[in-house]
Amino acid sequence: MKTDAAALAPDDQLLVVRCQLGERAAFDALVRRWAGPLHRYARRLADDADVARDLTQEVWLRAIQSLGRLRDAAQFRAWLFGIAHRVAMDRLRSRYAMPLDTSDVLDTIAAETDGDDADITQLLGGLSLLPLAEREVLTLFYLEELPLTEIASALAIPPGTVKSRLFRARHLLRQRLTAPENRHVR
Amino acid sequence: MSVDPATAALELELQRLTAGALSPLARYGHVALLLAATLMSVLLAALLATEPALPGRTQTALAVLLAIGVSWIAYATWVLRQRRPLLGHHRIVAGRMAVVFTGVFFAGALALGASTGSATYHAAASVGASLLVLAFGTLMQAHWRVAALQRQRRELQRQIGPAA
Repeated sequence: MKTDAAALAPDDQLLVVRCQLGERAAFDALVRRWAGPLHRYARRLADDADVARDLTQEVWLRAIQSLGRLRDAAQFRAWLFGIAHRVAMDRLRSRYAMPLDTSDVLDTIAAETDGDDADITQLLGGLSLLPLAEREVLTLFYLEELPLTEIASALAIPPGTVKSRLFRARHLLRQRLTAPENRHVR
Repeated sequence: MSVDPATAALELELQRLTAGALSPLARYGHVALLLAATLMSVLLAALLATEPALPGRTQTALAVLLAIGVSWIAYATWVLRQRRPLLGHHRIVAGRMAVVFTGVFFAGALALGASTGSATYHAAASVGASLLVLAFGTLMQAHWRVAALQRQRRELQRQIGPAA
């Protein structure tokens, strides 16, 4: 599992700083850099393409309006996905609150190892089978490749909770994908 | 690298949002400022135009207030035309405008207070002084922020190398 903090690349930080200085051209580059990841995140959380598009736009607007208040450009990615998380929470509140049937999973988590990432990557196609909170943490970790510390910052939860949520999400994913009725997903 | 049409459309939409991202609160605030400054300027201009018999000192005071009103109109129009949140250099421009306008007001009130000895002008000068301190503080903050960002920019460019 990748736990070390992969800091935001210097050129990404530079882009943020240029925007904070008010350079118009930098905003277009910022859009090109982050529209894809934001939309991918929104698409994974919202099963509907229109909802994902609306969500992306709302996140972007909020981010641009408060970009001047971001103190550390190195934190931009965690900050941006933090906004995305809060917007998604607002929009998809009922689905975030969906009860998670983990009774049989939690018993086995303690015995789980980190699992192998290659296997997990293969299983990510089945994300839609998971509850939103688990889907979100897997998306941020495997698809957007955020380090644990940044996920913790974005979701406003301790890193330990991110780890346990990842364990649970991976286990649930495996379990649901290997369930007979879902075998076609693989 | 080719971008699929859906992504290209989304990027265009986000660029459009970026170009008009001034928050509703800031927009309404500047519209209110624009209206208030316009009303004040129209009234002052009407007074100056229709009351030629006013004493010279009063005419001067009204003209200074008119100049300040017009400056605030220019400032509000500039922000509303930008339609973007004020960032970095924009804040410096806004801060400088605020310092100049409040400075003119303060100096005018002070001069009139000194020449007439009127308590009203002294009170106006006190208000002007407070506003000037506020405006100066805002300007200094904007300068510090931009200086910090410029330092960060240079450091990042050094790390990236010639490609930056």
